[in-house]
Amino acid sequence: MMYEPKIVAYACTYCSYPGADLAGTSRIKYSPNVNIIRVLCSGRVSPELILRTFREGADGVLVLGCHFGDCHFINGNHRTAKRIPVLQRVLEFSGIEPERLRLEWVSASEGERFAQIVDEFTETVRELAPMRQVLA
Amino acid sequence: MNRLEALRDLIEEALDEVDGVVGLRSSSGYVAPHLFREREELHQLAVSPKYALPTTLRLIQTAHPEAKLGIVCRGCEERGLIEMAKRNQINLDHIAVIGLACTAEEAEECRCAKPYPSVLVDSHVGERVEPVADKLAEELRQKGVPERLDFWLSQFNKCIKCYGCRNACPQCFCPECTLEEELWVERGRVPPPFPSFHLIRAMHTVGKCVGCRECELSCPAHIPLTTLYTLIRQEVGEMFGYEPGVALEDEPPLVLPMEVES
Repeated sequence: MMYEPKIVAYACTYCSYPGADLAGTSRIKYSPNVNIIRVLCSGRVSPELILRTFREGADGVLVLGCHFGDCHFINGNHRTAKRIPVLQRVLEFSGIEPERLRLEWVSASEGERFAQIVDEFTETVRELAPMRQVLA
Repeated sequence: MNRLEALRDLIEEALDEVDGVVGLRSSSGYVAPHLFREREELHQLAVSPKYALPTTLRLIQTAHPEAKLGIVCRGCEERGLIEMAKRNQINLDHIAVIGLACTAEEAEECRCAKPYPSVLVDSHVGERVEPVADKLAEELRQKGVPERLDFWLSQFNKCIKCYGCRNACPQCFCPECTLEEELWVERGRVPPPFPSFHLIRAMHTVGKCVGCRECELSCPAHIPLTTLYTLIRQEVGEMFGYEPGVALEDEPPLVLPMEVES
């Protein structure tokens, strides 16, 4: 069954959000399924926040942060880089596909890359069952 | 000489050095943690069932920071003490540890990965027995993701949200608990909606859970929580090479920055 997945992207305000902005101002087309939420740092995206996003019915969650070395808070994204793989394993063990959660680094100049990641991720999530059905 | 008598002798010796020893007391047919301060009380000493003594020790030490305390310590309790010491919840300098090895039956029941203490003590009461593998964890590893979901949903749906797992956990000592925040866990819903409650707790045990099985023992719904945390612990061990409760020097991985070449 084809359906339109709902995707929430948490983008950090210093790199990834301007990156998404650049994709927009450069008129690059990307999947409309994504809902971007600006956060101060990708390290701000706690596991609680991601789990709640899933519970509210998001089919996929993208966490976008600065490349290593570019973080405004020096090592905020290091925390994310450790936390997200662990949460992916926790999801996998408890029966939620780990592909629903993805961490990517997008800098302010990578509008193309942002669009590409979003398109790719939407297609990955589209293959999976809707979250509302899974959690019902 | 059985385990109980040997332990009693050791505590008697230790009482010369310390102000009190935390152990289990059997009184009127009930077993509960007790701070043994007099030799006369020692005839009430018990070894089983297992009880989270490190938590008792932490509470006593918080109230009396200068007191010299002893503790009867199984393998899991030793691991718990190490993790608590890393997070400044207890001061090991003021603690004398009395080791106690679990019997084969106890190890089997707890599916324990190391049923004897060896880091904080040189010797222990009782014979060392072989570690036991968590069969349910192995079984779940072989299963596909949808089957795991069915399994855990059937388990988590039994939850009555009594917070017993958190209250019994020796590693849960935050003054304010995320699980009580309306923002993350809705109030007034039983069972708590998956995946919030249980997976938040699972995430919070990362790098801390030592597999002591207190959560599971306290769970009135018999949810095999330790199995979930064991799976996570094994995975984190592979990812970061970190095993909770093994060495005092190892630092918990999730709070450290990555080692990256710049």
